[in-house]
Amino acid sequence: MSFELVVAILIATVPLLVIFPSLFALTTWLERKALARIQNRRGPNKVGIPCTRIGLFGLGQPAADGIKMLFKEDIVPNGADRLFHLLAPILALIPAMLVLCFLPLDFSFVAVWDESIAKDIKAVQGFALDGAVIFFFAITGINTLSVFMAGWASRNKYSLLGGMRAIAQMISYEIPLVLSAVVVVMMVGSLNAKEIADAQMGWNWYVFTPWGLAAFIIFFIAALAETNRSPFDLPEAESELIAGYFTEYSGFKFALFFLGEYISMFAISGLAAVLFLGGGEGPWVAVYPWLAVGWFLAKIFSLIFVMIWLRGTLPRLRVDQLMAFAWKFLLPISIINILISGIAWHLREQGAAVTAGVWGVSLGILYVTAVGLNKLNRANVKPREYKYAE
Amino acid sequence: MSFLGGGIFSGMAVTLRNFVGSYFDPDRLTTNDYSWRPEGQLPQSAGEYPREEGEQLSDATTVTNYSRNFPMLLHDGGDNPMDAIRCVACQICERECPPQCIYIEKDYGEDGKFIKRPAVFDIDVSVCMSCQICVEVCPFDAIVMNSQFELSTPNRFDGLLLRREDLLKSNGYYHRIHPEEAAQRDQRMAEEKAAKEAKKKAAAEAAKKKAEEKARAEAEAKAQEETGDKEEEAQ
Repeated sequence: MSFELVVAILIATVPLLVIFPSLFALTTWLERKALARIQNRRGPNKVGIPCTRIGLFGLGQPAADGIKMLFKEDIVPNGADRLFHLLAPILALIPAMLVLCFLPLDFSFVAVWDESIAKDIKAVQGFALDGAVIFFFAITGINTLSVFMAGWASRNKYSLLGGMRAIAQMISYEIPLVLSAVVVVMMVGSLNAKEIADAQMGWNWYVFTPWGLAAFIIFFIAALAETNRSPFDLPEAESELIAGYFTEYSGFKFALFFLGEYISMFAISGLAAVLFLGGGEGPWVAVYPWLAVGWFLAKIFSLIFVMIWLRGTLPRLRVDQLMAFAWKFLLPISIINILISGIAWHLREQGAAVTAGVWGVSLGILYVTAVGLNKLNRANVKPREYKYAE
Repeated sequence: MSFLGGGIFSGMAVTLRNFVGSYFDPDRLTTNDYSWRPEGQLPQSAGEYPREEGEQLSDATTVTNYSRNFPMLLHDGGDNPMDAIRCVACQICERECPPQCIYIEKDYGEDGKFIKRPAVFDIDVSVCMSCQICVEVCPFDAIVMNSQFELSTPNRFDGLLLRREDLLKSNGYYHRIHPEEAAQRDQRMAEEKAAKEAKKKAAAEAAKKKAEEKARAEAEAKAQEETGDKEEEAQ
């Protein structure tokens, strides 16, 4: 392996390993701050520069949390499976970090001094792989295993219940997630993340088409469930299961779970940005290519903010509601969405009138389907009846 | 918003309003800890918390008029609140309470006759879930929600079991903490009372009329009888 190739590989991978964990620290701060403000509190505001009373809006909080996590005792319960108890948090982090390389973050602009290194970087980047989207879903599937491993190895009923819930939830929501991504893959005709992003150049984002909008909404909902975010955070429902599958984790193992969870949030938001929001496209990208990375991160962050916002808004679902929503609502509507997008693909580029007709009809079909499914699934709930009063 | 999923958007609008509002309106930040106390004088035990009726910790920790915490019992003034307690110990709230945190015993006089008031009325606030169902079902407007939140105590069993005496609050206190709701409730009670009295009056009048008619009919019958007698005599 030549020296240039090593440099290229380092430039292609190290920024991913630096940017996202540091964004994780920032996101924990952002989440606590945003949730606090939603609840009319101040949030972390004391930890700033050490040994002074400068608060810096609590920006030192993630560092303080990290130090605390490092120095906490690492407890393994009596009778727990020590090996798998150790492996689970590692397995939670690795796939999350691994899928980051399928996001089209092009760092070749770093190598300004050597054209050939820039070329090498372009060659080794993971998203240039044909089938990057398939790899993405295949590797995120391992996450389920780590969650169940943690639940099983802990020898704790709450952990196990959390792990079982996670299995049911993640497998159920993986289907609408993949089926809504299929819409975009069909329209582009490629599984290459770079080609999918490039196909949306010139503000032709898929979120601006009826089928793309429906797929984006389904994808986002399923992504919330896949990353165990509220309102689908049943595997770690603190009011029911203490902390779910990581009840028995402390110290740095807990931090690894935490990190893995946030990294997979970034990864799945990044995939949403690639599939529906035009990847790194934005104003002035043509002039300054490095801006693409900035726009991409900005899109990821706005999706993350919506996730935090939803966490501050919605209550947690019940288990039966969760499963019914996946199988009886999201799955049928995503299959109908695939049919619609297939028809739309065949009727493309046939004049503005045909396009407008297709758009109107597909919007109508999607809305009617959603309302109809909602009516069909609505539980027969009556107002509370008082037995003794009146 | 009435389209599908519109409830989520209106909920998100509420949270966004709070998110943005808390930066511009300092009154929104209700949890200003205990900064109103001089430094180094934070409360050391539960007894140090304000215990006066309706007293809140500071102006910074305001409780809005719409805040509800745990139920309280109402009385209509007087030196001895137990004489004016609205509760008649009908036990409807006890039976409807979902977590069953209310315990009521009826009061009996020396002659063993039921006096319409509770001898024991306990609410276990460690069990109460603040659902307000007792308030909804009470036909006597005797139980309403209190907004007092400072209930910390060093004793988690007896300390969190509120007795009848702890729960008794005057109607004036209710007007102070929930002015709108109390005014509405009083108005409704007055209307119901007026309606009841009107009905009673109407019933009394009807009874009177009936009695008069009956008397007239009797008098007529008597008169007829008398005339009949006379006729017989004449014959």
